[in-house]
Amino acid sequence: MILRHSSLEGLLSTLSTGARVYVPAKADGVTKFVLYSSSVRPDFSITNTTMPPKDLLFPQTQHMYRYGTDAEGVPYVEPVHDADDVIVFGMRPCDVRSIECMDDVFLTKGFVDVSYQAKRERLLMVAMACTAPAPTCFCNSMGLCPTAAPLADILLRPAGATDASGDTAYLVEAQSEKGQAALAQWESYKATDTSDADFEPVSAAVSCSLKVSMVGVKDKLEAMFDHPIWEQLSKKCITCGTCTFVCPTCHCFDISQENRLSEGTRFRCWDSCMFTAYTEMAGGHNPRASKSARVRQRFMHKLCFFEQRYGKTLCVGCGRCVEKCPVALDITCLIDQIGAADVAY
Amino acid sequence: MSHIEIEHGCARSVEGRDALMPLPCRVLAVSQETSDVKALRITSLQGTRPFDAKPGQTAMLSIIPSGECMFCVSSQGEDYLEFTVKKVGFVTEQLHALRPGDAVGLRGPYGNWFPYEGLRGKDLLFIGGGIGMAPLRSLITYLFDCRSEYGAIDLVYSGSTPDDLVFCREIQEDWPRIDGVTVHLSVYRESPGWDGEVAFTAPFLERLGYAPDGRIAVLCGGPSLFRTCLASLEKLGFAPEDIITTLEMRMKCGIGKCGRCNIGSHYICLDGPVFSIAELHKIPGALH
Repeated sequence: MILRHSSLEGLLSTLSTGARVYVPAKADGVTKFVLYSSSVRPDFSITNTTMPPKDLLFPQTQHMYRYGTDAEGVPYVEPVHDADDVIVFGMRPCDVRSIECMDDVFLTKGFVDVSYQAKRERLLMVAMACTAPAPTCFCNSMGLCPTAAPLADILLRPAGATDASGDTAYLVEAQSEKGQAALAQWESYKATDTSDADFEPVSAAVSCSLKVSMVGVKDKLEAMFDHPIWEQLSKKCITCGTCTFVCPTCHCFDISQENRLSEGTRFRCWDSCMFTAYTEMAGGHNPRASKSARVRQRFMHKLCFFEQRYGKTLCVGCGRCVEKCPVALDITCLIDQIGAADVAY
Repeated sequence: MSHIEIEHGCARSVEGRDALMPLPCRVLAVSQETSDVKALRITSLQGTRPFDAKPGQTAMLSIIPSGECMFCVSSQGEDYLEFTVKKVGFVTEQLHALRPGDAVGLRGPYGNWFPYEGLRGKDLLFIGGGIGMAPLRSLITYLFDCRSEYGAIDLVYSGSTPDDLVFCREIQEDWPRIDGVTVHLSVYRESPGWDGEVAFTAPFLERLGYAPDGRIAVLCGGPSLFRTCLASLEKLGFAPEDIITTLEMRMKCGIGKCGRCNIGSHYICLDGPVFSIAELHKIPGALH
């Protein structure tokens, strides 16, 4: 199916009658996935939104259940259900890959996270292939391709201009049964005066200019837990946690509560392994009291521990942390330094 | 010689239940064990045991409006699960204020368990300090329930003062009367009314001179007791495979998702808390 850029607005407005549709746009001073409405201007030229779409499955703050005591003095706990049909329209391949990592965490190993699962089952991922990776993008080095997103339900690949007015054409393909079924709603917006064969979609040759070698990094890190490199690498870190909040794969959370009179709500919210209190135990013992221990934890988890546990790296090469870190603690430089480090320390 | 197998990642969510939602429960009984330790028995709103837990498994106990803390189930009965709570912070202070009949929240069970099947027929040496008795007690009381299936049970248990020995009366008076059970107690400093041993746990353990002889050691205590007693056990000739311990770390979810109890490729809440020392040697940072 060929879809013209000029038909997108009509399509989005149709889709938003049956689901909550999120599109890349600028809101509240940052770019993120915003709930579509007629007043929202989607911007598909944004390579990566500042905030990743992970909050659609794993909200920054999420109510889990209400509790209180009834008139007879009997305590109760009531779940708060809030899963809706959600379409994320215009996810980049790296963000789609990040959902694969989140699925591993929240849906496997003996315990399913009920709230994540409910949202995940009602999520339709519409991916947009990248034509111009940002200077901070390095997804190729993480084993991804900027123009492919295998887990997405539907993939849109820009395929050049369709006419003299410069209206971009997208080649649309369903990649799952769910995506196939969803395309029925798209039919009336497809370009009827042309066919798929007339277009050459953006090619697999699109590649990130920033490159890093992951060869042997996990194995090397296994022997580097006590390496002096962590002390040196962590020196400039100010433990602000920005990297963890903009990261599409960071999934650590805290559980807390708010109370009003005799009723209350327990919620979870994003947390960061960069914070001192994150591992501080009652009684004061803290297994990761030093900054270098926390920096080591973050990078070991991403580049070594997660792969040992789930068979993939917990980094998708989106470059958000590279762009946003206030002290330029760049993960790609860190990987290079690990690659160059002498393990006979 | 074959070593004891400890299962990891064997915890599963209870069918049809959201693993992060607590069951509303009530306090059945409270006993003051030391000046800052209480044992709380928790029962369901129907007066039954809230769920089954294997020795060594943990659960998240909460004063629902105040917060949750992870504890080892220290023992269990027909209609209750027992938790041994030391007053060290905000939530535990409120747990200490509870009275029978008060509402609490409870979710679990989480984590793996002591290899009670594999330990059958073995002689066991328990080494504990202070509140470290809580998880050991879950296994010890289990062994007492099927006493004939296990070999000799020796306990070396210490506290800073006699007041830091949890379940002291029971351990001093009842346990030594059980067939094949030997109890050695010590405190770290001279205390009024104490005419027993005054020694740190590690030198005390070495002086008692336990030889491995097919014995399995089960160790639980604070960081310095853990470090020194581990060195002593190794000095006495215990192989790392034959020393079992249970770890602690800050936890929020209990199901291997929230991230904070991550060590190496493991989550203590889900894959642990029970590990052998041989296994911990292979996990970076676990024995730091």
